[in-house]
Amino acid sequence: MSEAQFLEAVKNSQGIIYKLVGLYANDAEERKDLYQEVLLQAWRSWSSFRGDAKFSTWLYRISLNTILTQKRKSSRIDYMESLEAVDRASSEQTQKREEVERLRKAIRTLPETDRALISMHLDGYENPEIAEVLGITVNHVAVKLHRCKQQLANLLKQ
Amino acid sequence: MIMSIEKTWRDIDEQSDEALLSLLQPKALNKLQSKNPLSTIRKNLLRNGIMGIIIACFYIFILIFFPYWQIQICIAAVLIFTVWATAGAFRLRKAIDGNIETLSLLDEMQRHYTNIQQWISSQKWAGLIIYPVSAAGGFMLGGVVGAQKSVDEIMSKPIMIWALLICMAVLTPIGYFLAKWLSHKAFGRHLKLLKQNIDDLKEKN
Repeated sequence: MSEAQFLEAVKNSQGIIYKLVGLYANDAEERKDLYQEVLLQAWRSWSSFRGDAKFSTWLYRISLNTILTQKRKSSRIDYMESLEAVDRASSEQTQKREEVERLRKAIRTLPETDRALISMHLDGYENPEIAEVLGITVNHVAVKLHRCKQQLANLLKQ
Repeated sequence: MIMSIEKTWRDIDEQSDEALLSLLQPKALNKLQSKNPLSTIRKNLLRNGIMGIIIACFYIFILIFFPYWQIQICIAAVLIFTVWATAGAFRLRKAIDGNIETLSLLDEMQRHYTNIQQWISSQKWAGLIIYPVSAAGGFMLGGVVGAQKSVDEIMSKPIMIWALLICMAVLTPIGYFLAKWLSHKAFGRHLKLLKQNIDDLKEKN
């Protein structure tokens, strides 16, 4: 498989990298570093991609494994504090963008591994798929997911 | 509420980032370099291995050109440890895969954690074993070169024996704690975060 095919496939699924990195990076520099590392690791593993899984699932796995083993600083934030920045920017941005930013910040209050779980769930993955990617049991996924959803709903009501 | 969250989440797909788009070019892809901790450790181990070979050659030179048995014993001991540590560095480098594998997230984090711990442990052992013996060798060699006297003459004074013992007693813990501090400074925070994420993922309640 060629480099052009790889780039085309990643371009089509770039939202995965964009969304996941956005949940973990603390600043623009770290975001760029994580983009680079995810792309490099995906490129190095590309030869082993045999198409048994969907490309998006494979990229999800590579992205999560790279981000969570690369990071050296915790990236958990305080939701209320972080919202001040959103409010200031809201006059210049669309309503949709503001909501996205609120959701992203709410998810960033969760522990790092729970963010992986909730992002997969929101992207439509079933619990057994999430369990396989994370390496935990399906029951464990269900319990954690229930807790994360409650926590997010409470935060977003504020 | 959850439905609206899912819709908002899907809205992110409509956004993009210039920093990411700029990397999705053939030229950019070939210039990427890994900053992954295991890749960094592999580079570090390669550097240690090459340095080990150079230092071993230097010790062999000393063994040949300084025919004092006391120095030769210390240098021979340090040479053996250097060869052992160098071989260990290459073995560990071979065992560590710097690429991200398509294991589960939990397995991949545990693999990183174990490999980094192994590296830290190898650094501590090297610090504990190599520094004191090389300190003793260096002490005597310094005396021979500086004072232009034989080791027997230098070590004939009891104060020199005491100075040597104190030198080793001080340098052994310093070497050990320095190696420990340096490796924790390099990867301590990263290890702590990895451990926390592993525990979070395993946590049942």
